[in-house]
Amino acid sequence: MLKGVTIGQFFPGDSLIHRLDPRTKLLATIALIAIVFVSQGFAGFLLIAAFVLACCASTGIHLKFLFRGLKPILFIVLFTFALNLFFQSGTTVLLQLGPVKITAEGLRMASFMAVRLILLVVSSQLLTLTTSPIALTDGLESLFRPLEVVKFPAHEIAMMMSIALRFIPTLMDEADKIMKAQKARGADFETGNLLQRAKAMVPLLVPLFVGAFRRAEELALAMDARCYRGGAGRTRMHQLRFKGIDALAALAVLALLAAVIALNAFHVW
Amino acid sequence: MPIEVKNLVHVYMPGTPFEAHALKGVSLAVRDGEFVGIIGHTGSGKSTLISHLNGLEKSEPGAVFVNGMDLGDKGADLIAVRRAVGLVFQYPEYQLFEETVAKDVAFGPSNLKLPAEEIERRVSEAILRVGLDPSVSDKSPFELSGGQKRRVAIAGVLAMQPSILILDEPAAGLDPAGRREMLSLIRNIHDSGTTVVMVSHSMDDVGRCCDRLFVLNRGEIAFSGTPAEVFLHDEALHGMGLDVPECAKLANRLRREGFDIPEGLFREEEVCAAILNHLGKGGKQPC
Repeated sequence: MLKGVTIGQFFPGDSLIHRLDPRTKLLATIALIAIVFVSQGFAGFLLIAAFVLACCASTGIHLKFLFRGLKPILFIVLFTFALNLFFQSGTTVLLQLGPVKITAEGLRMASFMAVRLILLVVSSQLLTLTTSPIALTDGLESLFRPLEVVKFPAHEIAMMMSIALRFIPTLMDEADKIMKAQKARGADFETGNLLQRAKAMVPLLVPLFVGAFRRAEELALAMDARCYRGGAGRTRMHQLRFKGIDALAALAVLALLAAVIALNAFHVW
Repeated sequence: MPIEVKNLVHVYMPGTPFEAHALKGVSLAVRDGEFVGIIGHTGSGKSTLISHLNGLEKSEPGAVFVNGMDLGDKGADLIAVRRAVGLVFQYPEYQLFEETVAKDVAFGPSNLKLPAEEIERRVSEAILRVGLDPSVSDKSPFELSGGQKRRVAIAGVLAMQPSILILDEPAAGLDPAGRREMLSLIRNIHDSGTTVVMVSHSMDDVGRCCDRLFVLNRGEIAFSGTPAEVFLHDEALHGMGLDVPECAKLANRLRREGFDIPEGLFREEEVCAAILNHLGKGGKQPC
């Protein structure tokens, strides 16, 4: 029942984008988000959308996965759209129903905001689809490393993230097993009112917590046994290194930024 | 026929790059009162198969019948199925959760909505049946040793009084003495009239206990038959990452080398007797 839940929806692959350094992808995503905010018109959005879709197509991941991340924010998009549609002041009235009026400016602003939100989500989706969670934390650690001079615990945070990510599938698996075992003993997790359901979770949660603590203790011991003592002086098996394709990716993102700024300057709709 | 599986297929996460075919058309039948062993290497689909046997997993195509009930049927009475088929998962001690042993064992029977006296009777009976001292009833299950915890978990399933008991690697992680005790406990449960299906990767264990074996390999049944029949295929089994008992290996090797050892021996006593018999008859002497 819990099977099929993937974490961070990473899709393994060997495309150009998959092979980019995770730091490049992180920075490019931040840049992409910035570019979405820079764009003042729909032409810019169209260009960004084309860029993201082309990137996604080149990875071999089906486009539907790009839009899957939209589901949870659909409500926010609709809300923003409605808010802007009805409350944006403007002069060109398109439709009037009593006190409620829809203006051309309102319609433009509403669509603009909705498209901007959608683009924000879709472009960051590209990062999580093509980067494994572990590569992502490695990239984050490396990017935050300079902040260690101001005592920012970059290594510790990255280690906690990778341990947490590492254990999510394990704990899901365990939850699935315990659930099956209790169901085999006639437990019912699916029917009943809220209180009954909450009570039905006890036979699942108690063994799950006991197991999580046991695993945490075992892991701490295993790390200790292998002389783990924090990030200082620790070398890595997978060294992150910028390659030619990373420069290429940076150029592509910069070109997109230049194009969007140019579209803004010429006031293209 | 208590259990009948017909052409069962199970695919995990279909349509994603993580798609995995756990079962590729498995058919088997378990007869009343039998002690059946299912053997296979890690990832051969054993655990997926047994989850199907009491309706925890469902998939198309294929069908599973328990006491004549089709588990794929929308209206299948899963409570009745779970009452009939007791399922003990691997490392069952990790699913204990109650404050006391007695309460944990009572979890199953109380889910069956039995009267309180009946539950109490079944709980104390099950605790005795798995060879635990009645004094543990009021202890917290977390205070017990690993072997005792496993017994408590098995008692929790026995208290539902299933007519078919399925165990997934019941002896995993136990020391040799614990292993022997666990197997003799399961044999006792079988002798008292319960149909038993035991999943294992230890050929010694299944050879000692089971009437019939099914060997699973990559989601398909590779061999089935009595232990003696299955152990004849020692080389093919070796290719599947499985091993036959040492004595069967010796007997097969001797027979291939031309010695007069009958087929289908795998118990230490039998193989010894056959070798002595061969030597006594003045048969071909080893070089």
